[in-house]
Amino acid sequence: MEKLYKFLKYTFIILWTVFIVAPFLWAISTSFKDFQSVNSKVTYIPWLDFEPTLEGWRVLVKSPARGGVDIVEPYFNSLFVTCTASLISIVLGTLAAYALSRFTFKAGFVRNNDITFFFISQRIMPPIVLSIPFFIFLSTIGLLDSLIGLVVVYIVLLMPIAVWIMVDFFNRVPKELDETALIDGCNPYQAFYKVVLPNSIPGLIVAGMFCIIFGWIDFFFAFILTFTEVQLLPVKVVALNSSITPWWSLSASALISVAPLIIVAFVVERYLSKGNLSGALK
Amino acid sequence: MAKIDLSNISHTYNPKDLEPTYALNPFSMTWENGKRYAILGPSGCGKTTMLNIVSGLIKPTQGRILFDNEDVTGQKTETRNISQVFQFPVIYNTMSVYDNLAFPLKCRDFEKNKIEERVQSVSETLNLSSFLNMPARKLTADQKQLISLGRGLVREDVAAVLMDEPLTVIDPDLKFRLRRNLKEINEEYKTTLVYVTHDQNEAMTFADNIIVMDQGEIVQVGLPKDLFERPKTTFVGYFIGSPAMNLFETQLHTDNSVKINDTIIKTNTNLSKLKNNNIKLGIRSEFVKVAKDESENLVEVNIQKIEDFGNFKLLTTRMGQLTIKSKINREIEITNDKVKLHFPPEKCCVYQNNKLI
Repeated sequence: MEKLYKFLKYTFIILWTVFIVAPFLWAISTSFKDFQSVNSKVTYIPWLDFEPTLEGWRVLVKSPARGGVDIVEPYFNSLFVTCTASLISIVLGTLAAYALSRFTFKAGFVRNNDITFFFISQRIMPPIVLSIPFFIFLSTIGLLDSLIGLVVVYIVLLMPIAVWIMVDFFNRVPKELDETALIDGCNPYQAFYKVVLPNSIPGLIVAGMFCIIFGWIDFFFAFILTFTEVQLLPVKVVALNSSITPWWSLSASALISVAPLIIVAFVVERYLSKGNLSGALK
Repeated sequence: MAKIDLSNISHTYNPKDLEPTYALNPFSMTWENGKRYAILGPSGCGKTTMLNIVSGLIKPTQGRILFDNEDVTGQKTETRNISQVFQFPVIYNTMSVYDNLAFPLKCRDFEKNKIEERVQSVSETLNLSSFLNMPARKLTADQKQLISLGRGLVREDVAAVLMDEPLTVIDPDLKFRLRRNLKEINEEYKTTLVYVTHDQNEAMTFADNIIVMDQGEIVQVGLPKDLFERPKTTFVGYFIGSPAMNLFETQLHTDNSVKINDTIIKTNTNLSKLKNNNIKLGIRSEFVKVAKDESENLVEVNIQKIEDFGNFKLLTTRMGQLTIKSKINREIEITNDKVKLHFPPEKCCVYQNNKLI
């Protein structure tokens, strides 16, 4: 019985791994192919089935003047917008979450939970509903088609995630921890950054990870709110597609778009396995 | 270290309601410098509220708190120089044991040498010396609680160390040793210790003075002996001691005696001014003995159960509808179904409306 269970377990794990890894392998393989190897017949293994070429990768860094598509600039734009917006969201979101978790707010019928819900409700609406207000807002303040404008919009989109995760996290940090810090002689601000914050690193990492993922993969707002001046990576990757789909450079660009997220995943996973993310306080 | 005066303190968590419910009814009390106090009472009786008021985590609805005659009611927790240990260990997970113990001193800008010296001294007292460099989160629950205690004791000038059921998570053997440790610390450093508990044995063995609370009210403050022998209310009699005090509905008989059913029981209390309603007689099972040659205050009872606890026997007996419990010497053999029990007059407490006369 146990053997059967083990067999089924490992079969499932192997199948699942294949399911997850296969598209990546396929993309890696495709990124080294040329027009012939993609369009003539199905090919799998470099050197055996087809002659590998770096053309798909080279195009990505060549300037348009020399027949390339240059995704380097959009790549750094994306990196800048995502990191800046995530950082600001985490800082503001954490402060908001701490206040919502530790103090009682009353304004008419509005209570702490309503405020938290208000934050989350920003993510309930379909993005298309927000696109027109955002467009008008950015064009009014003259930040349409600019990195700063995108950062502002992304903060609006990412902060609810940070607040949501951190409120839940702080609620699980016993308030006795803050009280102990006060008794030990910290003022409320010191209690927050000397004691509560270092204890909340696991929560901050999770919140940061979600912000980075959601910021990095956003296509919709990057597409609507930029035109010629600024381009973000997802928009650029989609724009690669023309009358003849360049599968090789599409694959290569998809791979380098995913790369930062894979790095984030590995770093966080490492942190997870140290046991620091779960049961931080008990 | 300081003398702590609680003057006319009361607290409610819903002061804006038309009829606020009081977690603490108005009371005044003084905690003398260097003594050990235990606050004893059932859950929800206001013990923790009282501690939080002293440490400044809660501002009392009414009243003043004085440390050495200085009014600190408006002062914030961090400036009050008080230490509090909670029921569950609260440690700074991201720091080492050493940094945990040093934290209260670092927050107050002590010199490095002084910090080092104090941490070493406290860690030796609490048997934590060998863990000083370990991350605090890797320790067991009881060691973590020791750290919490240590953070309280590391400041020599602390006005008082407040402990809110600090030994709940610690196993019985270590509990006993720690209690003794705390007593030694109190004797050595003369730190005022206030200890909240709902365990009467803990309170009895730990404190010089016990404060018994019930439903936001301080029912009795006194030495363990007083609480045991002369409980001021039936609640204290019932709450302290195991088994609880024997309590019977009685009728007044003469100026110093009462009647239970038809049995007359003499007491040493002057009952002449009492009205004959809601009178109770209370006596500890420890003082109820099997009669030998006494001629008064005898009660004839039917034996219902005899339990041998090793160091004593507990007799459960019935007189009509009343149950009387008696702790007797385990060597005494009881062969009959019926025995006579003796109530020593000096140990009988008379209560009217549940208050001691």
